Amino acid sequence: MAINFNQVGFTYQLNTPFATQGLHDVNFTMPEGKFTAVIGHTGSGKSTMVQHLDGLVIPTAGEITIAEQRIVPTTKPKELNKMRAHVGLVFQFPEAQLFEQTVLKDVMFGPKNFGKTATEAEAAAKRALRTVGMAEKYDERSPFELSGGQMRRVAIAGVLAMEPDLLILDEPTAGLDPAGQEELMTLFARLQKERHLTVVLITHQMEYVAQYADHVVVFEGGTVVKEGTPAKIFDDVAWLQEKQLDVPIAKQFADKLATKGVTLDTVLDIDALADQLAEQLGGSAHVH
Amino acid sequence: MFTNMIIGRYMPGNSWIHRLDARTKLILSVAFIFVVFFANNVAGYVVAIAFTLLSILLTGLGVGVFIRGVRPLMFLMFITTLLQLFFVQTGDVLWHWAFLTITTDGVTNSIAVFVRFMLIIMFSTILTLTTQPLAVADAMESLLQPLKKVGFPVAELALMLSIALRFVPTLMDEAESIMNAQRARGVEFNEGNIISRIKAFVPLLIPLFINAIKRAIELGDAMEARGYRGGDNRTKYRVLTWQKQDTIAVIGFIVFTVLLIATKWL
Repeated sequence: MAINFNQVGFTYQLNTPFATQGLHDVNFTMPEGKFTAVIGHTGSGKSTMVQHLDGLVIPTAGEITIAEQRIVPTTKPKELNKMRAHVGLVFQFPEAQLFEQTVLKDVMFGPKNFGKTATEAEAAAKRALRTVGMAEKYDERSPFELSGGQMRRVAIAGVLAMEPDLLILDEPTAGLDPAGQEELMTLFARLQKERHLTVVLITHQMEYVAQYADHVVVFEGGTVVKEGTPAKIFDDVAWLQEKQLDVPIAKQFADKLATKGVTLDTVLDIDALADQLAEQLGGSAHVH
Repeated sequence: MFTNMIIGRYMPGNSWIHRLDARTKLILSVAFIFVVFFANNVAGYVVAIAFTLLSILLTGLGVGVFIRGVRPLMFLMFITTLLQLFFVQTGDVLWHWAFLTITTDGVTNSIAVFVRFMLIIMFSTILTLTTQPLAVADAMESLLQPLKKVGFPVAELALMLSIALRFVPTLMDEAESIMNAQRARGVEFNEGNIISRIKAFVPLLIPLFINAIKRAIELGDAMEARGYRGGDNRTKYRVLTWQKQDTIAVIGFIVFTVLLIATKWL
């Protein structure tokens, strides 16, 4: 599902004394079937933008296009129910949405709401649980008996079971241990490739952006300040530092080598860096 | 969906009423509920309405805010008024159908109840709109001090109250984010018949309760870790001080009360 924002603005509590601007003049395009990363500071408007992608809030200015659905300030929330069935949204700390008596029932909740029969929903739920690596023995357990990492997986399965075309991930790995983070990111990247999903990832971890993203959108102060390929975004180190955004380790390393006279092609992830270095030193490509 | 609630919300400002001591506002708001019952004729209600309007104008927030604040309670007021209208059986009969009877006393009573209700809500709204919730808790603690002598846990009660008030916005935010997460999973709040609407709230309420309990346990641990013990000899960052304007407010209120009682003989 291709996504386009055209001059989108959103004001919280419009027409009250509490009115505050969330977004203004937001323009960007997220290509269909690609992995798009959204980066920017806390409070830069990323999460507000995400709520627009699922029609949870309606913009107060401008126009959004998500596949065939057009959303303008006069759009009624009801009109968006159909679109929502094709969008999977994993919020920050999604384990807060668990409520059912068993893991399986909780994962079935989404598909059932969008009109699947109980049998279809159960099949979809089981597939989703296995995809996120939850063994069958947990199906009948209460979600509240699980560990934090397992709860996160169940909550993500609850979104994947809806079998969305557009998967939005709002800092899905926050608060997990490094191994858990790595596993989840590998899973998302694999799903994106296998199912040709359009993935939107909000993150503070530039390593993931460098490694997985095809396209990057940078938010600041409620609007988009830059958009492009990771190579383009990470090229201007001075600009990134001014925006207080990190530079991927591989790029930092390559830049340091460059000052010592070792020239490499643009690299963003460690594997590519290792390959280039091995080649220059006359060794064979390393095994990934 | 919670953004239109005025009740219980503090609106910052620097009006004469904002600057009054929270204790003054608390005592006068409670006193008003009783005093307003002295009004039992048109003159009495005119005095009560005039006093409420004057107080509202002194907050500098505009009458519109108060009217919006009353709106969510309209349904309750309407029901109470209807009950009065149909259940008061004294006076001349104006209209009769099956078991329903409307009498002159019923009409006057229901108007009186409506006006009284309206005034009490508006007057209490003055307290909540112009006083920070924590100041209200402090005021309550200060006013309950005498009960300490008979072993009443005043400090604990005040702590409970301030924690409860402190977490209202947090829980509201959390409710909103859980609601969004469930809407993303296809729950439609505020749609369908009453039963499906009530059912839609289960996926909201269960996580909300679980998170609230977790949060309470964490808060308790954090307080104990920092050595919190009950109220003995604790000093306060914000000290409540009685000032000239508070005396003026109390005198103004006494004058109003006397006037209201005097209307009896009009």
